[in-house]
Amino acid sequence: MNKKAIGLITANYKTSVPCALSKRRPMAGLPFAGRYRLIDFPLSNMVNAGIRTVGLIVPQNYRSLLDHVGTGRDWMLDRKNGGLFILPGTVYGGMHEGFRFLLRDIIDNKALLIRDSADYVVLSGSNMVVNLDLEAAIEAHEASGNAATIICHRASAINDDVYGLKVEGDKVVGLTHGVKYGDLESVDYCIFNRDELIDVIENFSQADYMALEEAMFKAEAAYSIGYYEFDGYAAGVYDAKSYYDRTMDIRKPEVYEALFNPERTIFTKAHDAPPAKYFKGSVVRDSLISAGCRISGTVRGSALGRGVVVEPGAVVSNSIVMQSCVIESGARVENAIIDRYNLIPSGTELRGTPDDILIKEKAEYV
Amino acid sequence: MSKKECIAMLLAGGQGSRLRELTKKNAKPAVSFGGKFRIIDFPLSNCVNSGIDTVGVLTQYRPYQLHAYIGNGAAWDLDEPGAGVTTLSPYATQEGMREFAGTADAIYQNIDFIKMHDPETVLILSGDQLYRMDYAKMLESHKAHKAGLTIAVMPVPWEDASRFGILLKDDDDRVVRFDEKPEKPESNLASMGIYIFDADLLLEELEADALDPHSSHDFGGDIIPKLLAEEKPVYVYEFQDFWRDVGTVASYHETSMDLLGDDPKFDLYSDEFPIMSNVSTRPPHYLGPDAVVDDALIDNGARVFGTVRHSILSTDTYVGERAIVEDSVLLPGAVVKDGAHVARAILGERAVVEENVKFGSVDTTKDTALAGDDVVIGRGE
Repeated sequence: MNKKAIGLITANYKTSVPCALSKRRPMAGLPFAGRYRLIDFPLSNMVNAGIRTVGLIVPQNYRSLLDHVGTGRDWMLDRKNGGLFILPGTVYGGMHEGFRFLLRDIIDNKALLIRDSADYVVLSGSNMVVNLDLEAAIEAHEASGNAATIICHRASAINDDVYGLKVEGDKVVGLTHGVKYGDLESVDYCIFNRDELIDVIENFSQADYMALEEAMFKAEAAYSIGYYEFDGYAAGVYDAKSYYDRTMDIRKPEVYEALFNPERTIFTKAHDAPPAKYFKGSVVRDSLISAGCRISGTVRGSALGRGVVVEPGAVVSNSIVMQSCVIESGARVENAIIDRYNLIPSGTELRGTPDDILIKEKAEYV
Repeated sequence: MSKKECIAMLLAGGQGSRLRELTKKNAKPAVSFGGKFRIIDFPLSNCVNSGIDTVGVLTQYRPYQLHAYIGNGAAWDLDEPGAGVTTLSPYATQEGMREFAGTADAIYQNIDFIKMHDPETVLILSGDQLYRMDYAKMLESHKAHKAGLTIAVMPVPWEDASRFGILLKDDDDRVVRFDEKPEKPESNLASMGIYIFDADLLLEELEADALDPHSSHDFGGDIIPKLLAEEKPVYVYEFQDFWRDVGTVASYHETSMDLLGDDPKFDLYSDEFPIMSNVSTRPPHYLGPDAVVDDALIDNGARVFGTVRHSILSTDTYVGERAIVEDSVLLPGAVVKDGAHVARAILGERAVVEENVKFGSVDTTKDTALAGDDVVIGRGE
């Protein structure tokens, strides 16, 4: 157990492109890779580093998120000492984009920081698909003597939804909104000395709409801030396109192995879905299939969530089909994202294009 | 502690030697089954789905993995104070240490557990059977008959009857005779090894049996014949659904194959009576660009690049390019490397079949091929 660090995850911010998938749920609660939700990545990374006290700042529309995390049991966070703390986020979260941590969210939940005696606070957002050895990063931070360490990697594309690091020597001197290829791009994890984090929020205790990431560079004390470069797979989900791409990435063996390394399990809410069943005549290629699926038809280049039924003669290609959908005989789904609980009737064709993925929104629970 | 209507005692201590290498390092109830389950999941889930919240699991043979798997019972929602699942193993007393000498002795040695819960009835179960049963219905039948003991029975094919304990009953379902593995069976109603006892009668009989130097301390061999001789009210409860003993390599393989096909005899997908299990969190499985999968069950974490026909691939298994797996069961973590061919075989946990090696045969007259846990099958084996 890592008694040196506690975690603080925020789900209370939005990304720049409105997305039908996150209309009725926070991004952090978005189903991902068949059985997970995005929040599983930061939660698992923290507990895999031995952290057993984690605060989760939730946005106003937190129902599905809390349904998923519950008491934190599936992440070993139902502790007598420490555990999972659900922290209410402010209304500013719904308007807030760009940086991750609203100072006001931390100020209002300062009790978590004050009541613990840990040396460090690991802060994270909840958009990143990454399996990160945070223990190594905490050690590097400890050795550096810096007030904070921002975990980053080299940007592989232009991206407006992340922030970049302005670096002088081994120090970070400022942040940029958006990155271009080759820039140091934050992977949304930052390690802060607890005392200095408390110091920052106390200095800016009147701020309502300011981000921690801005305040830490504005503080009079001029904190020394370092960075820790990570060279594994890390990619964010900000909109339908990136959601689609991240999911399809997992079909690559190197991404599958990096994300689902059995030595650092990505934990998620436990379910008792039986193995997937392939009936005679099914044709399934290059696809990720979750437990509980029953497949008689054809599935190519796709990802199916838990308990999806693909009836005989149905065809699913280059698509993501979320939990409990039924694709009836003769229906065709192509270049689409089908959100949970949809029934695609016989004879229906749902077609997007690779550049314009069709989204079928979540159906009402039946 | 408040009085409970019924608690379950699950006999899970046998060696399971007829499963050969599968139970070399592992107790039979902890053997993987059906892609993601372990055999004990079936009786444990039956208990929970039947409303029984207190289960004692009697373990003896190689209990470590079984104990670790059961844990605090949370995977079956059995982590409740004053209830839940308790593992009961042989223990030392001031008189020394004894192992469990038979099924009845195993229960007798844990009589304090039963007394502590003070139930009206005790359900006794085996840990090596695959079936879905609502014990609450059996309990209703027990109470309706005012029985001292109710034995679950099912009709078996007449030609198999001499392998079972066979019961003769009257028109009111009262047992008139019990024949253990009779040469010439007069009935085809076989005991399933599932009993409901009135707790008072059970305690009385166990205490008497413990003092009997001629007893082998077995329910089928000693307790039931004695109850019948004493004309105690012993009844049958007839069960008609799918039930299999998975205690041999052949029956394990055959029962696994029964999960396949268009209309399997055992429905793993029931929402009302789900089979719960304690598995590690693994990602969805992946079927590669050239994978061919026809009639199979595949669990999380598996990766398939070759051909799989009429087989079960458990958690984290791997089938390489050009490899063929047919009529087989791959236990968790088993690996079939590129170009290998596995037919009518059971591969133990983390077993490996090396590249281009053939293992097993489609010839049904031959025994099912079996590789134990962690075994590597290379060339020339």
